[in-house]
Amino acid sequence: MALLECQEVTKNFGGLMAVMNVSLQLEKGEIVGLIGANGAGKTTLFNLISGFYPPTNGSIRFEGDEIAGLKTHDICRKGLVRTFQIVRPFHNMTVWDNVMVGALFGVQKCKNVSRAKEEAMKVLEFTGLHEKKEIPAKGLTIADRKRLEVARSLATKPKLLLLDEVLAGLTSTETTEAMKLVRRIRDEMGLTIFMVEHVMKAVMGLSDRIVVLHNGEKIAEGNAEEVSKNPAVIEAYLGEKLHM
Amino acid sequence: MTTSRLGKYLSGLGLLGLVIFLCVIPFHSTDYIVSVLLDILTWIGLTESWIILSGFTGYISLGHSAFFGIGAYVMAISWLKLPYPLIILISAASSMALAFAIGFPVLRVRGPYFVILTLGLSEFAKYIFINYEVNVKGTVGRIMLGVPNIRTLYFSLLIIAIVTILCAYLIKRSRFGYGLFSIREDEDAAESLGIDTSIYKWLAFGISAFFPGAIGATMALRRTYIDPYSVFDPIVSFQIIVMAFFGGMGRLHGPVLGACILTLISEFLWARYPHYYLIILGVILVFIVKFMPSGILGIFELFGKAGKIVKFVRRK
Repeated sequence: MALLECQEVTKNFGGLMAVMNVSLQLEKGEIVGLIGANGAGKTTLFNLISGFYPPTNGSIRFEGDEIAGLKTHDICRKGLVRTFQIVRPFHNMTVWDNVMVGALFGVQKCKNVSRAKEEAMKVLEFTGLHEKKEIPAKGLTIADRKRLEVARSLATKPKLLLLDEVLAGLTSTETTEAMKLVRRIRDEMGLTIFMVEHVMKAVMGLSDRIVVLHNGEKIAEGNAEEVSKNPAVIEAYLGEKLHM
Repeated sequence: MTTSRLGKYLSGLGLLGLVIFLCVIPFHSTDYIVSVLLDILTWIGLTESWIILSGFTGYISLGHSAFFGIGAYVMAISWLKLPYPLIILISAASSMALAFAIGFPVLRVRGPYFVILTLGLSEFAKYIFINYEVNVKGTVGRIMLGVPNIRTLYFSLLIIAIVTILCAYLIKRSRFGYGLFSIREDEDAAESLGIDTSIYKWLAFGISAFFPGAIGATMALRRTYIDPYSVFDPIVSFQIIVMAFFGGMGRLHGPVLGACILTLISEFLWARYPHYYLIILGVILVFIVKFMPSGILGIFELFGKAGKIVKFVRRK
């Protein structure tokens, strides 16, 4: 059974078809990239999967259960959590408290604060944020805020992590670091990862499989090489020549 | 670590001392002093209960005057029919029930719209009561006879204020509290981390409405005469906000400080410049929002930071 299964998912906003008949499957332990030009419907698809709004049509199954139409917090408690493209840390809370909220409310739902603090500490160590644990989130650099966004999601103990452009805006060293983290999340924590990404080097390097959206429709799927040679993809998204 | 533990120990002792002081003082002072202290306790209770919703979740509510008024009216209606502490509890429960009843639709609205909606609702409540008094009962207001003496009322308010602070304190340190702070910081992010934001806001709204109900009931006895204009006065809501901002909303003792200082200032102003009272209050609010967004506590913290820097420089 696939971990996540989208069947003919459609979303229209008034007359605009943001996502059209998209079907895809994620197997346990995969890293799957989602690419497409601006406005292709990537973030909309993430919003549908994480329950920010319900799909107009189609079904979304997580571990076999229908989750289309469920509230975001219910989906999170089932083990599916997302990060935001524009990071949204709790600015006035310390890094530690930020991550602790994930541990308090996610899948594992620590009942008391001190237990959650311990759990959060483990995640902070895993993500390398432990030295900055007492800093308010607003005092972090962009790279660290993105890391915090991931750490907070990890603290909920998810099975599937949706990463919405966690690498955008990072320097190349920071990108390499972040890529390492993503791979470690899969390898050491055993999570499945579904990531929207514009940084081609990263998607191509990390993903076992890549799904390409164009104008709301899925136009290709396959490994990095297959996708980058697919004529439809080249025409729609990558332009004449692939820049890697 | 040990210094902070010592600090906690000392502040705990200080609090205990303060409570004992507040319990003893009414027996050794004039009615005037007691009435000023009673006012201070009223505002502490109101402001601290407002913090449970508005300070923790960031939903700035102007609905407290409605809950205060409901409490006062429940008291006026049931006075002499039931024992006095029981009526206070019923009043508080009525306010809370009202908040729970209207909570879900009201809390769907965010930001400035929420502020305006709560103001509108409390005015609405006022006019319902005016209409009821005039058209159904054929009166304007209600007089209560045989009310408890001022010291009894003082102790009722002392208990209510202490319970309010305790409640806010327990919530602040709990899982529930962290859920509320997350809503204040970013509601969508909170939701995506598994927090049922609608239920959390709804609970906070209800709990926050409980205490103004109890305080309104007690204050109705203090005033002995109430009408809808005086107990559903929107100034109550505004004054709460001024006090909370003045003291600083980041910590629980901020609102307490704000309530104490502003009640004393207003006592002074009412006595000497009654016509300028609201103008001065308005100027204070503008000044605070513009120049000291973290309130008085923010200034103390600034001094604290400055002290640390001085120490650091000296060590070098």
